[in-house]
Amino acid sequence: MNLIQEAQHAYLNRVTRRHFLKSAGAGLGAIAFSALGADTVRASGATMADGPHFAPKAKRVIFLHMAGGPSPLELFDYKPELARLDGQDCPESLLEGKRFAFIRGIPKMLGPQATFQQYGESGAWMSNHLPHMANVVDQIAFLKAMHTDEFNHAPAQLLVHSGSPRLGRPSMGSWVTYGLGSENENLPAFVVLLSGGAAPDAGASVYGSGFLPTVYQGVQCRTKGDPVLFLSDPDGIPRHLRRRSIDAINAINRQHHEEVGDPEILTRISQYEMAFRMQTSVPEAMDISHEPEYIHQMYGTEPGETAFSNNCLLARRLVERGVRFVQLFHWGWDSHGAGESEALNGGFLKRCQETDQPVTALIQDLDQRGLLEDTLVIWGGEFGRTPMLENRTGSDNPYVGRDHHSDVYTMWMAGGGVQGGITHGQTDEIGYSAVNGRVHVHDLQATILHLLGFDHRRLTYPFQGRDFRLTDVHGHVVHEILS
Amino acid sequence: MRVTPIGFVFALALLSWGCTRTPEISFNQQVRPILNERCVDCHGGIRRQGDLSLLFRHEALEAGESGKKAIVPFNVDESELLRRVSHADPAHRMPKDDLPLSEEDIQILHAWIEQGAMWEDHWAYVAPVRPEVPEVSDPDWIREPMDAFVLARLDQMGLVPQSEAECPVLIRRVTLDLTGLPPQPSDVQSVCQGGGSYEAYVDSLLSSPSYGERWASMWLDLARYADSKGYEKDIGRTIWHYRDWVIRALNDDMPFDQFTIEQLAGDLLPDPTENQLIATAFHRNTMTNTEGGTDDEEFRVAAVIDRVNTTWEVWQGTTFACVQCHGHPYDPFVHQEYYEFFAFFNSTTDRDLDNEYPTLAQFEDDVAADGHALIQEIQMIEDAIIARVETDTLTAQRRIWETTLDQPEVIGRVQLMQQNEVKRIVATPEENRGDGQQWMLNYVYASVNDDPILNRLREEKITKERALQALNPIQTPIMQDLPFQRRTHVFERGSFLLKGDPVHPGTPDALPSLSEDAPRNRLGMAQWLVSGENPLTARVVVNRFWEQLFGTGIVESLEDFGTQGLERSHPDLLDYLAVSFQEEHQWKIKSLLRSIVRSSTYRQSSHVTDPLLEMDPHNRFLARGPRFRLTAEQIRDQALHVSGLLSSTMYGPSVMPPQPDGLWKNPYDNRTWQVSDDDDRYRRAIYTYWRRTIPYPSMATFDSPSREFCVSRRIRTNTPLQALVTLNDPVFVEAATALAHRMMESDDPITAGYIYAMGIAPNQNELEVLNSLYLDALSHYSQSTLEANMIAEERGSPHLDAMTVVASAILNLDQFLMKS
Repeated sequence: MNLIQEAQHAYLNRVTRRHFLKSAGAGLGAIAFSALGADTVRASGATMADGPHFAPKAKRVIFLHMAGGPSPLELFDYKPELARLDGQDCPESLLEGKRFAFIRGIPKMLGPQATFQQYGESGAWMSNHLPHMANVVDQIAFLKAMHTDEFNHAPAQLLVHSGSPRLGRPSMGSWVTYGLGSENENLPAFVVLLSGGAAPDAGASVYGSGFLPTVYQGVQCRTKGDPVLFLSDPDGIPRHLRRRSIDAINAINRQHHEEVGDPEILTRISQYEMAFRMQTSVPEAMDISHEPEYIHQMYGTEPGETAFSNNCLLARRLVERGVRFVQLFHWGWDSHGAGESEALNGGFLKRCQETDQPVTALIQDLDQRGLLEDTLVIWGGEFGRTPMLENRTGSDNPYVGRDHHSDVYTMWMAGGGVQGGITHGQTDEIGYSAVNGRVHVHDLQATILHLLGFDHRRLTYPFQGRDFRLTDVHGHVVHEILS
Repeated sequence: MRVTPIGFVFALALLSWGCTRTPEISFNQQVRPILNERCVDCHGGIRRQGDLSLLFRHEALEAGESGKKAIVPFNVDESELLRRVSHADPAHRMPKDDLPLSEEDIQILHAWIEQGAMWEDHWAYVAPVRPEVPEVSDPDWIREPMDAFVLARLDQMGLVPQSEAECPVLIRRVTLDLTGLPPQPSDVQSVCQGGGSYEAYVDSLLSSPSYGERWASMWLDLARYADSKGYEKDIGRTIWHYRDWVIRALNDDMPFDQFTIEQLAGDLLPDPTENQLIATAFHRNTMTNTEGGTDDEEFRVAAVIDRVNTTWEVWQGTTFACVQCHGHPYDPFVHQEYYEFFAFFNSTTDRDLDNEYPTLAQFEDDVAADGHALIQEIQMIEDAIIARVETDTLTAQRRIWETTLDQPEVIGRVQLMQQNEVKRIVATPEENRGDGQQWMLNYVYASVNDDPILNRLREEKITKERALQALNPIQTPIMQDLPFQRRTHVFERGSFLLKGDPVHPGTPDALPSLSEDAPRNRLGMAQWLVSGENPLTARVVVNRFWEQLFGTGIVESLEDFGTQGLERSHPDLLDYLAVSFQEEHQWKIKSLLRSIVRSSTYRQSSHVTDPLLEMDPHNRFLARGPRFRLTAEQIRDQALHVSGLLSSTMYGPSVMPPQPDGLWKNPYDNRTWQVSDDDDRYRRAIYTYWRRTIPYPSMATFDSPSREFCVSRRIRTNTPLQALVTLNDPVFVEAATALAHRMMESDDPITAGYIYAMGIAPNQNELEVLNSLYLDALSHYSQSTLEANMIAEERGSPHLDAMTVVASAILNLDQFLMKS
C-alpha cells in the first residue's frame, strides 16, 4: 500500500470514527471539552493563558530528548584537527577555571571516533554512524553552538525542559499546553514516551507541571501494559456495563448538582464522559499494529516492543490526532567509556543504530503527510561531550569515551517554521568552545515558543508574587534559523 | 488577572474624590499597588535604573543619577517622579516604553507626595493586634468570635449566611476534616438521632489517633518528606521515624512553638532526647544528589539554600528564594540578608554524602547497649584521626601534598565528588581559609595519607562500623552543628562559586531583630520565629489551617504574605485568629481547630445559588459552607475505610500497596516495587512509600506533590485520569468488591452501601438509579459465561458481581469524592 491508498483507507475510517465520536458525545457534548486541556482547567477555577501572541508557524512539537548527552563530535561536528591531536596531552590553558564531572588532572585529547562526509544540497557534515539521516539533512537546521549551565544529568535535563536546574518549575510541554490547550478532546494534550531502558535522570519532573495545575502535566503513555495507567476496565466489566455505570454515576451527580448548585459537579460529569472516550481513543492511537507494512519498514518498528522506533511512529500518530506536545526520552547516551555499555565504541553505536532510521522516517513521514510544515521536531541531549578522553580509572581500557561538557553541543530542529539545510553556530577546531552563533538553552526555549506563536517574555504564570516564565529572565529568539 | 478587594477599596476612594479636602491617601492600599505594578520592575530591588529604587523611603528620597530627586515630600513641583509620569513626550515619560499611568493613579501619587510621601510598613511585617469584635446584624448567629468577623463582612456585602448543614452532612464534613476518614454510620446516628452533642463528638475526633495521621499529610508537604533522596538514582532513604514523630507530636497536641523549635533546632536544646533529634530530620528531607560526577559542595549548598527557602515559606509565608540572587523585587529584603539567614544553616556537618551522614542510630532493645558503645568508639576513633592529621608532622606532609594535587595519581585518591571542593580549598592560602574549609581538607587528607597510625585507625573504624551495621540500626538523618561556624559569604548572583563579602548569622531588618541575648544559631533563629514579636508566624500558620478547612486561605497565597501576595479576604479575622492562637490557645492546634469547627461559619450548608455563585465563585466570603474535593490521601483512605479494608496499624517503615508494574525505572538503580503483604496493603496513604521521581500514581493523579521541595498549596484539579483511578485502579476495584460483600450482609444492600459511604440514606431517585444499575448488571452476569464475570472472587455469584458494580458506582459519586 502506498501513501495515497493509505490516505483513502484512513479517510473512510475517520468518517466512521467521527460519526461515532459525535454520537457518543451528544447530550453532554456541551460540557465535555478537551481532554486535560483548557476548558477542564477553566471549569476547575484555574488559570489558562490567553492563547498565542502572534500567528504560530508550528502547531505542535515532537521533542526527541537523547538523555545522557550524545557526543556531537561523533555525529555532526566534524573536527579533522582533533584527529591530528588524538592521544596528545590536553593543553593546560583549556582546563583553567573549568569544572568537569569526571576528568581530573591532565587528560589526553581524543580524535573523532567516526568518519564524516557531506550530504545534500546544503552539504551538511554527517558521520558514518547516521547513514539514514544523511538523506534528510536538507530539512534540518543544526544548532552547533548550543550551551548550558549544568554538567550533571539531572540538573541539565531540568534546565532544558523547565528553564531551571532546580526542581519546581513547569516543563516546556506544560507551558505549551497551558498556552495553547489541546486539539483533541479525547487524548491528553501532552504525551510522554520513554525508551532506552531507564526513565529520564531527573525523573517525572522533566515533564511535570511544577506550579501550574497538574492538568498540564505530561501523561506518560506506555507500549506495554495499560497505555495510560488504569485505562482498562477491570476484568469482567464489559464496555456496555462500564457505559451503564457511568450513566448511573452521572445521573446521580446531575441530580445532586440541581440540589447543591456546585458547578464543579458538571465538570466531573464531563470528565467521566471523557474518561470513557479515552478508553477507546488512547488504545486506538497507541496501537501501531494496523500501520501498513511499508511504514513498519520505514521506521523499523515491531508492534508490542518498547522501542524508540515504536515511539517515533507513535509520535507521528499522536500529532496526527492533535496531540500538542509529544516528548520522547531515549536514555543511554552517556558515553564515558568506563564500560562497554557507555562507550563511544560500544553502547553509543547501538544508540545511533536504534535512532538513525526512525528519526529519519519520522521526518520523512511527517513530510509526506504534509504535517512537517507545522510540526516542530527537536533533537538533542542535555549537554555535549569533551574533546578530551575521559579515562576515569587511568588504566588500560578497550573502551573510549568523553566527559560531560556544558560549553558547547549540537541540537537540531526541523519543520514548523524552521529553515532546512542550514547550520547555525560554529565551534573551534577541536569542538571545545563556540566561535560564533552561541545559543543558550533559554534561547532555544525562546525560539520554540516563538515558533508556537508566543513571546517567551509574555507567556507567564503568577506564582509566589511574581510572573514566572519558561525562560526565567533570559532568552533570545534565534531569528537566523527561522524560515 | 488578579482581582482583589483592593479594587473595591480603591473604588470607594475614587467616589469620595469630589470632596473639597483631598482625602488621606493610604500608601498600602493605593500607592504601593501602583509602584509594584508599574515602577519597581526597573526601580526596585533587582534593577535600580537611573540609580532609583522605590522599595524603601530613604532610597526613594535620594537624588538619582540625574541629580534630581524623584520624590520630595510635601513638594509636588520638585518631585521628578510626578513630572516624568505626566510628561507629554513619550520619550521622557515613565513608565518607559509602556502605557502611561492613568489620570487617577497620577492624582493618587500627587496627593500622596503632597501629604508627605509617607511609607507604610506592609501589614504582614507589623505584629497583629487583637481587633475589636465587630457589631453584626444577627448576634444570635455568633457561636465563636470568629463568626462576628465573617458576618460583619457579609453584612457589608448584603449577604446572609446559609442555614446550618444537615446533621449527617456536617458530621461527615467534620470527621473528614479532623481525622481524614469518613464517620461510621453509627456515629452519624448517635449524634444526629441519638441526642449526642456535636461538641462532644468533635472532642472525640480530636483525641482519635487518626487525627495525627490526617494533619501530618499537610505538614509533610511542607517538610518535603519522602522515602527517597531525589535526583537521578533517587535511592531509598530511611527517615520514616520523622514522619512518625510528626504524627505523635500532632496527636499529643505539642504546642506549635515547641513543634517549631524541636524541628529547626532540637539538636541544640540542652541534652536533647532522641525524639528531639529525630524532629530535626525536618531539614534533612532535603535531597541528596548521588549522581556520579557531582560536586558534593554544590549540592550541600543547594540543600542549605532549600532549608532557608523552606523555613521562610513554612513559617514566614515569604518568597525569600527571590533574594538568593539579588535584592527582593518587591519586598523589603536585601541580598545580603539572605546570606545572613543562610549562615544560621551553614554550619551543619551534613555534606551531600551518599551515606546521609550525620544520622541517629536506633537499635532493637537487646543490642542497644552494644550499639551505643560502638558509636562512642567510632567517635573516639574519628577524633583520634583528626588529632593525628593535625600533628605537626602530618600538617607538614599535607602542605606538600597540596602542591602535588595536579598529579592524577594524587588527586585520584580523593573521592571523586570531593575533588573539586578540595581544589578550591587549596587554591586559597591556608591563612585565608575558613575553619570549615580547613576542617574539610583535613578530613579528606585523613583518607589519603598512608601514615601507619592513620592506617590502623581507619581499619579500626571500618571494623567498628561493620560491627555497628551488623546490629541493624535504623539510621535517621538528623541535623548536627560543626564545633565552629562555617564562614558564610554572599553568593554573587546566587552562585556558590562567586563568593562576595563575608556575613554573620542574622535576621532581616524589616522584621523585629533577634534579641540581644539570643544565641546566634539555629536555636536562636527558631525562638525568634515563634516569639510574640514575630508578625508573620502565627498568621501564616492559622491561615494554613483555615485553608485546609475552608478550601481557601484568608490570604489565598499561603506561601506569599508579601506585598505581591493576594489580599486578605478578612484582615481582622486573620489577626484575631493569629493573636488568639498564641494567647487563648497557647499555640495548641487542637484548641484552634476545635474553635473553628464549632463556629457557625463552619457549620453552614454548602448549597449555593446562581446569584451567590456569581458574586463569590470561590467562596472567599463564606456565605456558605465549604465544598471541595478530598485530598489524594483522603480519597484512598476513605475508599478503604468504607469497604472495611483499612488497616488501623500506625507507624513504621513505609509500605507498598499495589501499583502497576514497570514504573520504577531509574537509571543505575534496579530496585523494584515490592507489593506489601496482608494488612500492609491497606494502610493509610500516609504510610505509602514516597519515591520522589516516581510518585505513587493514584496519589499523583489526585494532585499530591512529588515532595522534591516544599509545597504550601495543592492546586485541586478535576481530570479524566482521576475517573480512571477510582473506576479502574485495582486498589479501588478491591475496595468496591469488599464494599459489595458488606452490602450483601444487609437486607437492603444498596441503601446500606450508600450509608457506609455517605453516612446518610439515598433519596428515592438515587436508590432507583442504583437499583436499576444493579438489575442490568445482574442480568449481564446471570446470562454470561463464568469466564466473563470474574470481578468478584466467588465464582458464579452474579449477585455479588452486580453488587460490586453498584459499589464501584457509589465510590465514584461526586458526593463521595467531595467534602460538602
